[in-house]
Formats: sequence, C-alpha cells, structure tokens
Amino acid sequence: MKKEENHFRAPVQDVLRKKSPFEQLMEHMGKVRECIDILGNGLIEYYKGNYKDFSEITSKVSQIEHEADLIKSNLRNHLPGTLFMPVDKGKFLWALREQDKILDHAEKLAVMLDMRHTKIPKKLQDVFIDHIKLVMKTVKAMEVAVENIKDLVETSFVKREREQTKRFIRDVHKFEWEADQKKYDMTKAIYDLEKKLDPMDTYHLLKIADWVDDIADHAENVADWLRSMIAK
Amino acid sequence: MDYTLWLIIGASSAIAFYMAWSIGANDVANSMATAVGAKAITFRQAVIIAGILTVIGAVFVGPHVTETVKKGIVDIGSIEPSTLLLGFIASLLAAAIWVTLATWKEMPISTTHSIVGALIGFGIVCGGVSCINWGKVGSVVASWVLSPVVGCILAFIIFKIIVKLIFAKEKPVKSAKIIGPIIIGFTALLIVSSLLMKTPLGNTLQISLYEAFLIALIISIFVALIGMIFLRKIQENIVEDYLTVEGIFRKLQIITSCYVAFSHGANDVANAIGPVAGIIPLASTGVLSPSASIPAWLLALGGIGIAFGCITWGRKVMRTVGGRITHLTNTRGFSVDFGAATTVLVASKLGMPISTSHTVVGAVIGVGLARGLEAVDLNIIKKIVISWLLTLPIAALTSVAIFLCLRTIVGI
Repeated sequence: MKKEENHFRAPVQDVLRKKSPFEQLMEHMGKVRECIDILGNGLIEYYKGNYKDFSEITSKVSQIEHEADLIKSNLRNHLPGTLFMPVDKGKFLWALREQDKILDHAEKLAVMLDMRHTKIPKKLQDVFIDHIKLVMKTVKAMEVAVENIKDLVETSFVKREREQTKRFIRDVHKFEWEADQKKYDMTKAIYDLEKKLDPMDTYHLLKIADWVDDIADHAENVADWLRSMIAK
Repeated sequence: MDYTLWLIIGASSAIAFYMAWSIGANDVANSMATAVGAKAITFRQAVIIAGILTVIGAVFVGPHVTETVKKGIVDIGSIEPSTLLLGFIASLLAAAIWVTLATWKEMPISTTHSIVGALIGFGIVCGGVSCINWGKVGSVVASWVLSPVVGCILAFIIFKIIVKLIFAKEKPVKSAKIIGPIIIGFTALLIVSSLLMKTPLGNTLQISLYEAFLIALIISIFVALIGMIFLRKIQENIVEDYLTVEGIFRKLQIITSCYVAFSHGANDVANAIGPVAGIIPLASTGVLSPSASIPAWLLALGGIGIAFGCITWGRKVMRTVGGRITHLTNTRGFSVDFGAATTVLVASKLGMPISTSHTVVGAVIGVGLARGLEAVDLNIIKKIVISWLLTLPIAALTSVAIFLCLRTIVGI
C-alpha cells in the first residue's frame, strides 16, 4: 500500500483518491487488531494479578472502539443504494457490523473487569490464559481472511483466491472451536472450585469466560459473512 | 471587403480556439482521466500526449468525421452563404458555451453532440425542419445508446481476458509479462492500420489495403518485442504479487492512453476546426467548397487550444471520471482505455460522430460488471447521462439565440 501512495506525483491525484468501502473495512479491521492486541496482553497480566495498568488499558480500548465507530458510521452512511459493488452490499454491511461487535464486546469486557478486580485463583490461571490466547488466535485468523479481500477484489474473484479465502475461513472456524472447548474446560474448573470461592467471584469468573468467548464468536461471524459474500 | 474578411477569419479562429479549449477541458480531459486516475501518467504528461496525438489523429483520420459534421446534419444547399457563415459561427459558439458550462459542473459530455445540436438549432431556424437531415440526427441519437454499449462490451471482454490469462494463473507476474506485450502489439496494429487504411496518408503513399495490413502487422510485432524487452527485468517480489502486475500495466497504460488521445483526435478535434475550415473559403470566395482542406495553422491552433484547455480546466472532468465514478487501478484503467479507444477509432473509420465521453463511461461500467471495481457510484453516472440528454436541446436553443442576435447585429 505504501508503494501506491508514494506514486502520487501531481496534486490532482490527491483529489482523485477516494477511499473505497473495502479500504475502509480494512481500516476498521486495523482498529480491531490494535484493540485485541492491547486487550489480550492486558488480560493475561490481569489474570496473573497485575491490575496496575489495567485502567489505562481500559481507556485505550474505549478510545479505539470510539475511533472504529466513526469509521463504521462513515462507511455505512456513505454507502448509498446507487453504489454498485462487486459483492452483496447487505452481506458486506453485516460483516462490518460483526467486526464492530468484536470491539463492542472488547470494550464491555475491559470496563467490567476494571470495575471489580476479581482475583483469578492460581489453579484457573493457566486455563484462562490459554483461552484468551485461543481467542486472540481466532481474531488473527479472521484478520488474515478479511485481508484477503484485497486480493479477491484485485483479481476480480478468481477461483484460486476464493479457495485461499475459504482456507483462511476454515482456520477461523478451527480456532473458534478450540476456544469453545477451552471455555468449557474453564467453566468446569470454576464449578470444581465453587465451594471454596466467594459467590460473587464465581459469578464474575463465569461472566469473564462468557464475555471473552463472545469475541471469538463474533470473529467467526465475520468469517461466515465473508464466506457468503464470496459465494458464487 | 478585405477588412471584413479578416474580421470574419479572426473572429471565427478565436471562436475555434475557444471551442478547442473547451474540448481540451472536457473531452480530452475525460479521455485521459483513466490514465491519470490510475496514476499511469502524470497530469502534465497527459496534457503533452493529448496535445500532440489528438492533432495527429485529427490530421490523418479526422476528415471522415469532419465531413459528417460539416455537411451531414444541415442541408447547406438550401441556405444562403452569408447566413450559413453566421450559422456556423453561432453553432460553434453555442456548442463551446454549453461544453464550458458542463465542464464547470464537472460533467463529461460530448462535444460532438453539442456541435450537432447547435447545427440542428440554427438549421431549423433558417432552413426549416425539412433542411435537417433527420437520418443523420437519428444516427447521432443511436450512438448515445450504441457507443456506451460497445465500449462497455469491449472493456468487459478485455478485462475478462486479463483476469483469465493473468490473475487466474499461478504466477500472475510471469503471465503479465507475456500477455501485456501481446495486447500492446494488438493496440499498435489497430493504430497503424487505421493510420494507413483509407486515409489521406495511405493514399499519398499509395499503399493498398493488403500492404497496409502487412506494414501494421510488422510494426505491431516490433512494438510487442520492445514491450517484452522493457518488461524483461521485472521480477515478482512475493507470491501473488499483484502490485507488480499493476506496475506492468502502469507502463502499458502509457501506450493505451496514447491510443485514446489518438482516436479522440480522429473523432472529436474536427468539431472545433471543421466548421472554421468551412467558414474561411466561404468568406473569401462566397461558396462552400466541397473538399475544404484544413490549413496547417488552423490545426496548430486547435492543438494548442486543446492543450491549453486541458491544462487550465482539465482537472475538473478528470476528477469525475478518474475518481468520483470509481477508483481505477492500472489493469482496470487499461481495459477502459482499450475498450473506449477501439470503439471510437472504429466509429470514426465508419464516419460516425460518436463521443469519447460516452464510450469511456460505458467502458467503466463494463469493467464494473466484470466484478472488477470496488465500488461504482451509479448516482454520478445517472447525473452524467442526464447531462448527455440535455446536450442536444440546450446546444440547439443557445445556437438559435446566438444566431438571431448575430443576424440582428449584422442586419442580414
């Protein structure tokens, strides 16, 4: 992309440049990547019991979510009915919506965790960390799949690129499934400890498991909409 | 009388320059817009290419269309020479004003159709409805539908070829290095054969059709080989290196934008100079000679006017075609250029006054239909089509108004 931009030589070309919906989708995805990176690493620290920087992470996540919201509404508001796109516009908007949901959930999770610093029992720490890592992997896989739209559009949806995108989407499904399994392990481990834990802690731990897993679910939804977008 | 003659020649040349300026600002700008929009050439290069090649196109292929514009629309036999003189000036001015207005509104319209509309307007006023050759007008109207459709189909096909033969392959860069020069060779074949077949140049060199084709074939093979040599050093940097493919087409697009400029010159430049070429002998001898040759200084005037128009207001229409309808990459721009230029060139060979603007917009839609574009703004296309439909009536009415004013002033 850098190479493209450097090619501008005459001022007129700056005027000619208008961001396409796909470029804006990529931009939005950049925000998702940034947010999940910060939140994921923050969560790992949180699970280990370091709450020191978490408030800062929460405000950062909030900030990114807001920026992404602006991109999303700008894209959605400027996608008139008369715009002719190579993919179904409805499906495109659903993919965007699901992508935005990832950020919504990330923000909700961060704010909630910051309200009450729940101590994660030593026994649960490993499975919690494994889970967030799998969720991050799912989002990463989704990013790879979404990134591939660029190639799809460039080649006007040739078979080879479509097959490649489908492979990336299968990766998303695989990681999401693994994250789900991990979540069941987590839930089971929490129930095993229910006698020793404070009820409020139990409630909060179960909520964490649910809400972190929601992120992976929405990443999978993005991949699903992507799949139906490229279907012939 | 001498002073009057010079006055007429001076005034009509000035108006011709104005018309050439508006053609440069609107028509040429929109034919070069895809190349500039896809960053194949800079704005300045576009102006230079347009200036030189449109004149070449006008000199060697243009006369076909000039005849149509000059004699086809209005039955000049039934109108007095002096009235005809005023009529030509009025039509030229009216057409130029409408094109200026459209350029100001950033709409790519057809200069051909403005001049046709203006001629119809003045023809009806001084000769009545019967002196208009409605068959010719019908063919102009038909070209509204025909030229975008043909441009659309050709661009669709060429883009599909690029996709099938380059993007669908395992090594797109390698395929592009083979396919690119072949398409360029084909382009050269079309240009050279159109230069030599049934043209003044072909006649003076006394080349038969068969020989012309042979010469064109040799030159095109030569061009293709040069293309191969230029592209030889390009290597793919990564797997699926589409950026390099675009880079190759960026180079190839220089050729196609020359092609567009050339075919545009063949078709549209005559609009500005043609009527003046009729006015000058009319003013000096009082009769419209059937085979008015276009003097060299007039062509130069047209060329400079076009380049000047492109420099000053060219950006306006370029913004619409090169950016507002859709964002074009090099492979897309190449397909649009090729489709549009081929349509225009074939049409001018057939003596049909069609419009570059119409074909370019049609070609953009063609690439869009081949799922090649990220987003096409149909709203802008709708506005453009409306401006096309308005061209004929508005040019006609303006021309009538100017003609009546002039007649009152001169007192014929």
